[in-house]
Order: sequence, then C-alpha cells, then structure tokens
Amino acid sequence: MKLSFIRASSSSTLPIFLKWHKTPLSTNCRRPIFSSRISSTPTSSKPQIPLFLRPPTYSASFSELRKWQDWAQSLANSVGSTFVDSDNGPEASLLCRELKWLIEDAVEDHSLFPPMGTQNNDRPIRLRTSLEELYLLWKQRIEERKPFQYIVGCEHWRDLVLCVQEGVLIPRPETEMVVDLVAGAVSENEGLREGLWADLGTGSGAIAIGIGRILGSCGRVIATDLSPVAVMAASFNVQRYGLQGKIEVRQGSWFEPLKDVEGKLAGLVSNPPYIPSNHISGLQAEVGRHEPRLALDGGVNGMDYLLHLCNKVSSMLKPGGYFAFETNGEKQCKDLVEYLENDYEGSFCNVNIVSDFAGIQRFVTGFYRRAI
Amino acid sequence: MALLKSFLILPRRCGLLLSSSSYWYYHYHSRSTFLVPPKIRITARPLSQQIQSVQRSKPLSTSLSSVSKYSTCSSDGNDFLRLSDQQLMDQCEMSTFKSSGPGGQHRNKRESAVRLKHLPTGTIAQAAEDRSQHKNRASALARLRTLLALKVRKNVDIDAYSPPQELLQILPAKSTIRGSDCGSQIGPNNPKFALGMQALLDLIFAVEGSISDAAKLLGLSTGALSRLILSDDSLRMAVNELRTSKGMKPLK
Ligand SMILES: C[S@@+](CC[C@H](N)C(=O)[O-])C[C@H]1O[C@@H](n2cnc3c(N)ncnc32)[C@H](O)[C@@H]1O
Repeated sequence: MKLSFIRASSSSTLPIFLKWHKTPLSTNCRRPIFSSRISSTPTSSKPQIPLFLRPPTYSASFSELRKWQDWAQSLANSVGSTFVDSDNGPEASLLCRELKWLIEDAVEDHSLFPPMGTQNNDRPIRLRTSLEELYLLWKQRIEERKPFQYIVGCEHWRDLVLCVQEGVLIPRPETEMVVDLVAGAVSENEGLREGLWADLGTGSGAIAIGIGRILGSCGRVIATDLSPVAVMAASFNVQRYGLQGKIEVRQGSWFEPLKDVEGKLAGLVSNPPYIPSNHISGLQAEVGRHEPRLALDGGVNGMDYLLHLCNKVSSMLKPGGYFAFETNGEKQCKDLVEYLENDYEGSFCNVNIVSDFAGIQRFVTGFYRRAI
Repeated sequence: MALLKSFLILPRRCGLLLSSSSYWYYHYHSRSTFLVPPKIRITARPLSQQIQSVQRSKPLSTSLSSVSKYSTCSSDGNDFLRLSDQQLMDQCEMSTFKSSGPGGQHRNKRESAVRLKHLPTGTIAQAAEDRSQHKNRASALARLRTLLALKVRKNVDIDAYSPPQELLQILPAKSTIRGSDCGSQIGPNNPKFALGMQALLDLIFAVEGSISDAAKLLGLSTGALSRLILSDDSLRMAVNELRTSKGMKPLK
C-alpha cells in the first residue's frame, strides 16, 4: 500500500476503532464492563450480523417484553430535549420512533407485539436477541448515545437495508441522491450504463450497490475503501444483494487500488470525508463519539480529499466520463467548481452544483470533456 | 426505480397551460366548500435552470431545491391520476424537513421525512413514518394520488352519463351496469382505487350530493352505494363535506 499524501496513512493499517479510541472524544464513552455481541470489538474479521437477520432463538413472555418496552419508553421520554439542546441530537419523539423500529427488528413476528386489544396472554414471543440484551442495547442508545443503526446493525437506505457496524459510516439520507444523479446520467447514455464505475471510500457499499443495481448488464463497479472494517461490511452487503458479479470491493487508499483501470472509468463517484477538522469535536454525540473519524475528517477546511479526488479524476475517466462528489455544502461546492475551472480549464464540461432535498448545495457533478 | 429516475430525467417537451374549463379545484379542507376555476399556469423551465448550471460570469443563485422541476408530457396533462409515478413526480417539488445546520456527514437524526408539493394544484402530501427517505417518498406519492382524487373535480354530463371503466371497477358485483369483463371489485387498498374514487366523486358532485341519484346512474341501490362510500375514510369525508355544505345529512 503506497500512501504518500494523506494523513490517514499513518493509521492506515490500524483498525479503525483503535484510532477512534485514541481520539479525545471517545474517552468518556469507553465500553463499559458489560460486553455484548453488538459492542464487541469491530476488529473481528467477521461482519456482525444485524439483529433483523439473526435467528429467533430467544423468547420472552408478553408481560416481560411489555415491561421492557415501558422502561425503554420512559428512558426515551426522560431525555426530553436535552440532546437537542446540548448538541442538536435526537429529541424524545424520535427516540420513541427508534424504539418502535428496534422492536420491529428484534421481535420475530411483530404483529404479535404489541398485541391488538387488551388481551393479556402470556404466550412467549420469539426474539432475535435476549431480553437482557435488549435492556443493554437501549441503555447504550440513550446513555452512550450510540447510534440507533449500530444498535440494530443496519440502516434503511433507498430501497436497501445495509448492514453497518462500528467502524463503518452510517449512510446518510442526503447521499441517496448520488444514485439518482447517476441514474440520470446513464439513462440516455449506453456507454455510461454499460461501463466501469468506481465508488471511492465506499463505507457500507451504499453508493456502489445503488449504482450496481441501475447499470446495464455489462456495467461494473469497483468499490474501494481504506478501512478494513468498511471493506468487510461493503463485501457483506454486496453479497447480500447478490451483486458479487457486478461489484468488486478493493482495499486501499483512494486511487491506489485502481491503477489497472486508469483512463478506463465511465464514471467516478465519491462521498469522501469532508468535515473540517475543527468541527469534529462539536458534532452530535452519535456521530462524533461513535462514527469513525477516518470517515468524517476532511482536513483543515474539509477539502483535502475532495481536492485529491479532483486532481486525479481526469486521468481516471474516459473522455465523456461522469463524476459526482458529495460535499459539505455551498462553500465547498463553489470552491470545488472554481478549482476545476481554474486549474483544469477546458478539461471538464457541464460542471454543475446540485442541491440536496433540504435545499443545501451538496453535490458537484460533471463530465470529463470528450477528447477532440 | 422509475420513481427515482424521475428526479433526473427531464421530459422532452413541456410547457402547458392549465386552464381547461372542465377542471375545477375543490378545496377539500376548507371550512365551507367552494369551487374555484383554476388559474394556474404551468411552464416547465429549461434544463439549465433546473439543475443549477455553473457559469463563472454569473454568481450562483440559491434556489430552495434543485429538484423543483415539473412538467408533463401528456397532452391532457391535468388528468393527474393517469400519470405514471415518474410523470407525477416530475410535477412535484420534493423537500425534506429542514434541519438546522449543515446536514450530510454531520448528522445522525434519521430525518427521512419527505414532503411533496404538487405544483399544478398546490396539494401537499408528506410521509415520515418509514425508515428510509426512499420509502417515505413512495408513501407520500401514494398519499398524493388520494389527495388529488379528492381535490380535482372534472365536469360530468349527467344526461349522457356513462361511468368510466375505473369507476365500474370499484363498484360491487351486483351493479346492473357493471359487465362481467370488469374483473373483481377493486378495494381501497388497491392503488387503482384512487382513479375510481375520483370518478365517483365527479358524479356525486354533478348530482349535488344525492346518493340516490348517483346510485341510479350506477345501477346500484342507494344502500349499496352508501356502503361503498363508507368503506373508505377519505371518500366518506369528501362526500359528507359536500353533503353538509348543501344542507344534507352526512352518511353514517
Ligand atoms: C463519508 S464516508 C462515505 C461512506 C459511503 N460512501 C457513504 O456514502 O455512506 C467516507 C469513506 O471514505 C473512507 N476513506 C477515508 N480515507 C480514505 C482513503 N485514504 N482511501 C479510501 N477511502 C478512505 C472512509 O473509510 C469512509 O468509509
């Protein structure tokens, strides 16, 4: 692995969680004494199986489960607006919705729970994890602010359910649109539709899988990430969707694992880390304390990786190739466009800024100009 | 997938004037029912304005959302319920609920709620209960179809009335005008129900809320038509609101 240019290189071979533990933010949320499958170290070379995919080998009586639910509900309600006030985190109502989703994933037949009407039968309810574990998980959610997606081990993203675990960035709703952008680009362009694409810094594999499902029968995607946990999670998700034949996951830093396809890509997409380093400490606890810094920190002004990607995009794409990058917002979008137009004058065409659904300028897209 | 693509694929030709006098907008939620002729002009914007083009000479204008494009390719574009999901989506502005702050990698709040505004009619549908934005978008679109069915009224010529196929399909089998070629009765959970409901409301509006008059034209007993109306909450509410405004008793 040749890593000449990035800060991340210093820790590139370390598992992400080690890095995470070293960050000052994590000191107050060391795993407590209890150990659970979900909070076990993410170094294991096996992906953690999300709750909803586990066999329903546990059970609890209705009243036991009801007691847990009441406890969990009141814990959630006790939060009130304290998380919102401290770091713009989730309010109680959102936590209650998450609790509903947790029950959905944990209870085998959740039409049985909560039961219709007031019948109070004590038929055992089959669970995908033990009741004890459910207490533990919800404590972690509220007391440690562990993201809900790490609690259940998955995130619903577009029409996919992607497995995630600590060490892997939870894909964001905003990023769903990258796939829409690509769908637009390939819809009338067979060369793009049947070509080779790359998703750099693939994390859970979200974008790569989204794209893999809209490309034509000859279209392929290479998904890369520096993080071994991300590579593992992405491979697991690719397999779950039966896309091994279409998507190849490679480990390495940015373009390093793509040397063999230089100048051959029909498209290149990335949602690289873009948060300015000095914003990291102020992030909401779910993100700052629990998600991998490697996936978030984009250097002093957050542009380190975006610029790096721009520097290489023209040598990676075929003439006529398409690119789309996600950014932190308006400022980064504009800076990136200016950079592309000044330093690479005439190399790109149709360079656009596209806003996300909340109206924030979020993506920069364009084509590598067709050679004359 | 078709639904998603609609955000990007821009229909070839567009621009249409919505002023056909046979369409009226029924303001379903207003306290007193009234009918207003539409005065809405739809003009599709060219691609360059839909996704902000970057030109160095001009500063970027900030628009609320780059996806606020709408257009229709159907020549009878105001028959909204006949549009495909994709075409209907093209007429909508989609937004998520504004969160304070920069969003993206900064946030974990599962703000996957979606709000669709149907620009030609101003109808708003939203969905928040699902775990992904994608699915909320699909739910909001389904909800929008129902709202449009309730809201957009078409004039009906009672003297030469012949119910459209979509309406026949939601009628019970005992209707005397329903041919055996209609297949089995379509219920409220079927996405096609909205079209039939719209045609039924058009008829009930045309007969000024009289269930017995409408029933005659549909080859049903008054009781059978009442039962059909009462089988769907939104249909029942729309009919009762009309009846109340005409001084009639609501159906129960
Ligand atoms: C913001 S996350 C995006 C993950 C995923 N694409 C998504 O949208 O959900 C950035 C990703 O870049 C990866 N990354 C960070 N440094 C990298 C490097 N030098 N080379 C490749 N990937 C890197 C991180 O591990 C992380 O998975």
